[in-house]
Amino acid sequence: MTDTPIIQLEDVTKTYHLESGDYTALHHVNLSIMENDFIAIMGPSGSGKSTMMNQLGILDVPTSGNLYIAGKNVAEMSPLERTHMRRDSIGYIFQKFYLIPLLSAYENVEYPLILKYKRRDTTGKASSLLEAVGIGKELSEHRPTQLSGGQQQRVAIARALVNDPKILLCDEPTGNLDSKTGYQIMDIICDLHTKGKTVIIVTHDEKIAEYANRQIRLVDGRIAES
Amino acid sequence: MINGDIFFNLSVRSVRLNFLRSLLAAIGIVIGVVAISSMGMLGTNMQLEVKDQLSASANTIVISSDAARMGPPGFTPSSSSSSGITKKELTKITSAVGTNGTVIPIYSTDGEFTINSIAGRGSIYGIDSDDISKFLKLNQTYGNGTLDIGLNEVLVGSEIASEFNVKVGDRIRIGSFSSSSRPELHIAGVLTSRGTVADGVSTDSGIVVDSKWYTNQYGGEDEWSQVNVIVKNVDNITGTENLIDTKVNTNAKTPSVRITDATTQLETETSTLSTVTTFIMAIGGISLLVAAVSIFNVMMMSVSERIQEIGILLSIGTEKGEVRRMFLYEAFILGLLGAAIGGASSLLIGYTVVEAMIGTTSYFFEPASIMYVPAAMLIGIIVCVISGVYPAWRASNMDPIDALRSE
Repeated sequence: MTDTPIIQLEDVTKTYHLESGDYTALHHVNLSIMENDFIAIMGPSGSGKSTMMNQLGILDVPTSGNLYIAGKNVAEMSPLERTHMRRDSIGYIFQKFYLIPLLSAYENVEYPLILKYKRRDTTGKASSLLEAVGIGKELSEHRPTQLSGGQQQRVAIARALVNDPKILLCDEPTGNLDSKTGYQIMDIICDLHTKGKTVIIVTHDEKIAEYANRQIRLVDGRIAES
Repeated sequence: MINGDIFFNLSVRSVRLNFLRSLLAAIGIVIGVVAISSMGMLGTNMQLEVKDQLSASANTIVISSDAARMGPPGFTPSSSSSSGITKKELTKITSAVGTNGTVIPIYSTDGEFTINSIAGRGSIYGIDSDDISKFLKLNQTYGNGTLDIGLNEVLVGSEIASEFNVKVGDRIRIGSFSSSSRPELHIAGVLTSRGTVADGVSTDSGIVVDSKWYTNQYGGEDEWSQVNVIVKNVDNITGTENLIDTKVNTNAKTPSVRITDATTQLETETSTLSTVTTFIMAIGGISLLVAAVSIFNVMMMSVSERIQEIGILLSIGTEKGEVRRMFLYEAFILGLLGAAIGGASSLLIGYTVVEAMIGTTSYFFEPASIMYVPAAMLIGIIVCVISGVYPAWRASNMDPIDALRSE
């Protein structure tokens, strides 16, 4: 662990140019996230949580201000470099799981490895990750539509981890799950934090937010409480 | 399990998932491939057959006077000119050819005849009986005939023999139906089929008589319609033609005779057939354009249906080029599917069409003919891939955030 933030937002503003006029979703946000932090981002609908996650996940770039991920200014990176950073340094866990429907559970986990190394996984990493999240060999052959919500989220977690990213971005990871399964998923995420991952979780659920060691509240695109 | 390129694999699965829709789109390519290859093969088979038939008389120079004597507009033939090649010209030709070949003077006209009480019409050739065996052959299936015909004997072509149910020894009356003088002759033999020939003696629907009988019946003695020269060495054919030209066509502005050979006719015939083939293939190509629109439509549908999947791929680190490749593969697979079915169908349909239109399939598997199948398949695949370029580009340039939000 170093003292340099793994993610740093300096006066970050994001404005969308809509037909109805400009809409600013994030206003001059400053935030530093250190390596192995566990942060929960909370806030009501329209507070800018999703915009914040898109910025942290480099799916979008700030309109003004600077966003540094692992010391690199995102605005100065080429689209291909941003793609490679998404692939190699960030693991995504979505509320709707977002598994690739044409691939089996195993292939979904193997996919990021193939993207990175341009070849099949011969190390057994995909299989062991699936087993670690509780998906056995038989289930791993199933397509996403043949799995329950909890099982799909476990596969999504395995996929997020397969390239060994430093950052885990979790967007309402328990939002589509019953409470029991939700807590099981949170246990896995907590365990990953214990093993050194930097976890950023967006949630409405106060109980889920309590897992984090730091909570950030967004109101109207501004950090109200940190 | 994923084998090979994962993006190709994803494309295969996408096509399989929407197999019926993909198959229907590929049918356009099937039709295009079949149209192009069948028409191409038909044209080429025609060309090959004509070439083969004309090559049979590749050693023959044809000297005629008709076109040359007509001359350019305003040209008046000299009073001494006849409608055919004169004795003087024949002598010059014979002298020019020398020992390099055999000179065969030929009379010809169109005439009417009756065989077994059935009236017919065709070309009538008058040839010295000694010369007949030098370039014509007998078909013995109609009876034991002879090429050595006498004054009152004729040889008939294969088509006439077949149409009039001729047997060697049958009788034939030659002369205008309105004429009172219609001499009766014996059929001494049936000639083998010659097909398209370059020596101007199309005997298949014609009759060959002795030149003396011909001039007695039709007049015009020593005014031959054409003179054929069969050269001993085909490599010297141009040299012999030049010798004849120098000797006979003494006036360069108004040549007395026209000298041609199989090469000239072959060039004309193949050029005409090639133009017709290209035109018909272009019509076939229109169906490929229609197919391209259909493939484009299916690819756009595929992109629209998979927006969220594209969003997932882009958000977890798939490069734009890789997404583009995935959709181009899909178009390629549709093309390959259509081209494979089209190629197999082309062999079947092409074979049937060639058999029906030309009557022989002996040239069907010649490289020049069969190459149209892979060529049309390749064109079909290329058309498909080109149709997939815009949908693939559109998919790869989607905003991952918008794509993920799509339901």
